[in-house]
Amino acid sequence: MSDQQNHLDVQTSGIGRSHIGVYFSEMTCKMNHITALRIGVIASLYCVLWLTLQSSAAEPERKALMPKQHSALFRAHCYECHASESEEAGVNLETISYDVAASVENAELWRKILGAINSGEMPPKDSKSLSAPDKTAFLEDLTAQMVIARKILGDTGGVIPLRRLNRREYANTIDDLLGIQPDVTSLPDDQVGAGFDTQGGSLFFSSDQLENYLATANASLRLCLLPRGAPQAETTRVEPEDTFNVQYRDYLAEIKDTHDRGIAWQNQTEKPPSEFGILDEYSVKKKIGAYKDYSPQLEWYLARPESKTGVISITTIKSGGVTRIKLPKLAVNAPGKYTVRFRAAHYPEADERFHYVELSSTATGERRHIAWRKVTATLDAPEVMSFEYEHLPGESRQLSLSSRTHQDRGDKNLWAIHRRDNGLGTIPGLWIDWVEVTGPEPYQAPSEAAKRILLDRPDGMDDDRYALEVIRRFAIRAFRSRPPQPDYLKQLFEHYQADRQSGMSLTEALINPLAIVLSSPEFLYMVESGRPDNTGRLTDSELAVRLSYLLWSSQPDMELMDLATGSRLSDPAVLREQADRLLSDPRHDRFVHDFVHQWLQMDRLGMFQFDGVQYPTFDNAVRENAREEVFQTFKLVMNESLPIGTLLNSDFVVINDLLAGYYGLPQVDGSEFRRVKVPANSPRGGLLGTAAVMAMGSDGIRTSPVERGAWVLRHLLHDPPAPAPPNVPQLSRLDGEVLSARELQKAHQEQPQCAQCHRKIDPIGYGLENFSADGLWREIESIGTGNKRNGRFIKTVDFQIDPSGQLPSGESFKDYFELRKTVGRYEDDFARGFAEALIEYGLGRPYEFGDQSLVEQILEAAKQDGYAVRSFVHALIQSQTFQSR
Amino acid sequence: MKLKTNRRAVLRGAGALIGLPLLESFGFQRFASAVSVTTPPKRLIFCGMGFGVTADRWYPDRNTVGTQWELPGILKPLQRHQSDISIIQNLMHRYSADGHSGSTFWLTGANRYEIPGQSFHNSVSVDQVAAEVLGEQTRFTSLQLCAKDVGSDGHGPGSSLAWNQHGKPVAGFDTPVAVFHRLFSDDKTPLAERQAAMRKQRSVLDTVSENANSIFRQLGKEDKEKLTEYMESVRDIEIRLSKEESWLIVEKKRPANPVREPAESLEGLEEIRMMYDLMVAAMQVDASRVFTYRMPVTSLIESLGATMSAHSMSHYSEGERRTVSQNRDTAHAKLLAEFIDKLKASKEADGSSLFDHVALTLGTNLSSVHTLKNCPTLIAGGGAGFKQGQHIVMDDEKTPLCNLWLSTLNGIGVNVTSHGDSTGLIDQLA
Repeated sequence: MSDQQNHLDVQTSGIGRSHIGVYFSEMTCKMNHITALRIGVIASLYCVLWLTLQSSAAEPERKALMPKQHSALFRAHCYECHASESEEAGVNLETISYDVAASVENAELWRKILGAINSGEMPPKDSKSLSAPDKTAFLEDLTAQMVIARKILGDTGGVIPLRRLNRREYANTIDDLLGIQPDVTSLPDDQVGAGFDTQGGSLFFSSDQLENYLATANASLRLCLLPRGAPQAETTRVEPEDTFNVQYRDYLAEIKDTHDRGIAWQNQTEKPPSEFGILDEYSVKKKIGAYKDYSPQLEWYLARPESKTGVISITTIKSGGVTRIKLPKLAVNAPGKYTVRFRAAHYPEADERFHYVELSSTATGERRHIAWRKVTATLDAPEVMSFEYEHLPGESRQLSLSSRTHQDRGDKNLWAIHRRDNGLGTIPGLWIDWVEVTGPEPYQAPSEAAKRILLDRPDGMDDDRYALEVIRRFAIRAFRSRPPQPDYLKQLFEHYQADRQSGMSLTEALINPLAIVLSSPEFLYMVESGRPDNTGRLTDSELAVRLSYLLWSSQPDMELMDLATGSRLSDPAVLREQADRLLSDPRHDRFVHDFVHQWLQMDRLGMFQFDGVQYPTFDNAVRENAREEVFQTFKLVMNESLPIGTLLNSDFVVINDLLAGYYGLPQVDGSEFRRVKVPANSPRGGLLGTAAVMAMGSDGIRTSPVERGAWVLRHLLHDPPAPAPPNVPQLSRLDGEVLSARELQKAHQEQPQCAQCHRKIDPIGYGLENFSADGLWREIESIGTGNKRNGRFIKTVDFQIDPSGQLPSGESFKDYFELRKTVGRYEDDFARGFAEALIEYGLGRPYEFGDQSLVEQILEAAKQDGYAVRSFVHALIQSQTFQSR
Repeated sequence: MKLKTNRRAVLRGAGALIGLPLLESFGFQRFASAVSVTTPPKRLIFCGMGFGVTADRWYPDRNTVGTQWELPGILKPLQRHQSDISIIQNLMHRYSADGHSGSTFWLTGANRYEIPGQSFHNSVSVDQVAAEVLGEQTRFTSLQLCAKDVGSDGHGPGSSLAWNQHGKPVAGFDTPVAVFHRLFSDDKTPLAERQAAMRKQRSVLDTVSENANSIFRQLGKEDKEKLTEYMESVRDIEIRLSKEESWLIVEKKRPANPVREPAESLEGLEEIRMMYDLMVAAMQVDASRVFTYRMPVTSLIESLGATMSAHSMSHYSEGERRTVSQNRDTAHAKLLAEFIDKLKASKEADGSSLFDHVALTLGTNLSSVHTLKNCPTLIAGGGAGFKQGQHIVMDDEKTPLCNLWLSTLNGIGVNVTSHGDSTGLIDQLA
């Protein structure tokens, strides 16, 4: 059971960034020759300033050497069948090269050996089996060498492939050009599971995509250039009691009526239930039960004086879940900023969790949880609070307000449990008097973008010349300063002419040619021709493009492009200044969110649902805010130039009111994230103490020491474990036994092929066992068994947690606090992992052997600057690699 | 400019390949139906389930192979068709190691890491290989059915189950109502206008190609390969436009018992049922002969009353997750049994049924959780001439799933010699 899950999870997540295609099986014969490193010495004035030239780091040896001593194992166990005389199955282990990466065929043979021994297929059952220590040592070495071999054979010699704008970059670029955030849901998300979504080699293109680009460009240009006249902002007030008093009163009357009829049937013996309007005896029981269950709360509700003027947020199993106040639909053609104001009060006796108002929205089914406000006023003096909401063009959405919610049946199950305890149900925490929606405050961006596209038409310029000029200038901007070719421009103009002749207005007739520009390869791909001098160096404009896509995931703005076209950007001082400017612009949020999300593989946070009964406080609000906490922490570390090691261990957290409540830290006021010092004995502070990272290391039910250990190795210690081989046999010996997470992992130690990796992974996870699946602190691990009632296990078995363990280096720790302290000493390794990730993300290709010197330079520069995040960025963009094709 | 000429040349070639609907357009219906009396067309259907099944309950007992076997309890709804279906065990893809891609390589058998430096590669899917041959004479070369929001349903990257000749994703229709209109609604725009719109589409493609050509010259070898993907996409659209244009003049046919326009809101169980109905209807009017269906998972289990995500279900352990997983398996069995009922009930002109000429597969690349061995594989129908009613356990537990795809292709008359990593045919089916 969970054993198997853990094991295999390592495999899947292993196919992540650090393990691009570690599997050898995936290799065939199309290996590129390793091309010479392009570290040409360039006699340019700037060269002296380039960090990269004085690369002192030795080039690592490109060999994956399997230690020779293992030939003894072959001799003792394998030669009988797999040597020169017999060569069973065409396998000859006498002639195999111990340089695993000597050739693709050789590596493929080693892969087969790895697979055969891992799966127990070899040596065959009727022959002498391998001793456990031999097997472990052999597998450990071979696994490690396979990882290296894969890297060697997959190395492209630093080639940066032609890169298509990925989906995020495409959307941002359209937004920057047109002031319209386009709907890109029909485009592939470009997160193919391995590596960053900036890796040009893996960004494919299909005909459906081309059609989508054309359609999206058309629709966005229409919204931008042919606005239908901004709708007037208006205010709509919702008095929610109008809906809910009727709904709850009717429902109460209905269940009372069926209850009464059920009782009437029970009080006689002649007639069947159907004569009382009830299907059968079973239904009678249900109806009577429903009345007993739900009527007390509804009667209480309707009797409360404040329900006459507002709503109390309750959970009503049979009547629409939680009290959800739906606001008027925001229309497709009314984009802009909306303000949602509401007057509310809280009930002090309720759980603090229920003092929050949750803003969520739905479009087609799926609900997004957007923002939360904590209500602190009481009924005698309610307060007015507000949310701001950006309604995007082209979307139709419905906003609603409610209490905090869970993903699954959690709310209902918890209500039933509370009702059993107190006769009413979950104690409500919120009263809402009214809600007002005001908007839209119209978007400025599209009209400004339109002004820029349509230029200031000089007096006397005729339509055709003007149209040609509009198209030409737009193409230059869309192609990021590359002037369009005359033939191409001519064709674009002909499209305009054709539409004009068919009776379209001037602006209308511009839409098709401009949409073609936005679907042409020169827009969709980052074309880099390099300088005419053939040094391989990028032009200043091309450098501007790399820089802005790194930090903004979008095209350069005017200031950056002007500097580039004036050939000033390659001046290191100017480049540095610009990088700082870009990082101070709000658009750098895109870097923070998109890079960090992929770097730390945070997609796992959404993969499993959490059981609302087992983890009542881990609701939608916590999940979303916990995710944001990681981004905000990184952002603060970056913006305040703190050492990157702060992410390993710190005496503060970056949280808001909601997370302070969740973590049980002293109260924080307001929903914005800020730095909060934590008590000396707090487990919080550093990525390991975040709910997001701990929750990712679980399956929503139980913790996974394997998943957590592997994450720490991969992302913090820069010592990624090899991915588990696919199709590992299921360890079912422990099926059906109730064991602690730590005990379960012991099965990994029983077989050498498991033990060789897991002895490195699992013990780190043990040190995190004091965090339950939801990331909260626990002293006891409680496992539910047997049947459930209202979603809760009736029986639980408790285990004392033993958080001791050790790192692969052998450093042992007695508990989480020692683990965190020890991990904190790995700042150099953590920084190296970060630098490698940044190189991959920024260059748009996997980290390769040839990058060794680059990473050393980045680390050297960064270390001198106290490992500030910005110094990594500066060192990368000042490097020759970043500035070359 | 050289490239442009090539492009035109390819198009001319492609135009010749496209079977024009001559018979129908010239009103030779009688002749056309006379042809179909003698040989009802062969058809292919692949239905992909995304995440794996409840592995310890889904497969029949390994000790009962051949024709004497019992359907597992959770597949009982298929009982009435047992002699017309087969379950094959021990099929797998050699290269699949990706536990979250139940559909990406299912029909292709490709090696994801074939190209060094790329983390993603795919090749043509079996349905698209067949469509090259079977798709010539129908309005739709192939039809790809999908579902909305399947991002977390275990299917993996892709737009449908189909991948084109270049290994690029082929889009599908993600609601029954979209399929319905595509199949049966005639565009009310006058013909001349529709033709003009196509000309305009073509000239748009000319212009983007012009841009592609001008930068092509400036690129190095690797980058040229990358841009070629773009150029191939342009060609694909042009070929499709050519075919669409030739069918513009032919009205869409409706089956004798027309399907009603499906509601927008169909989800889960009802959605799958409707998609099956639409496939039957499409076959009745011979709109296409090749179908793939990437089925919903989350919305299916929601329609069965579950409130968890498909991914949570797929990591089943004892308890609610397992129950949901088994219910899902049974629901699939029930829906498939109904689908087979309808295929059997729908008669061709020669008295045989659609079922007699279809090669249908229900399966996925994952057996359960992240295990990629023993891909669940259920086949049905007489299209490929397989001996049905069998439970087959391949001796080699690493038998390529592509051997089944190759057998299927050969069985329906597409004479290729290999597909993906195939090593041969599955003899037991002959």
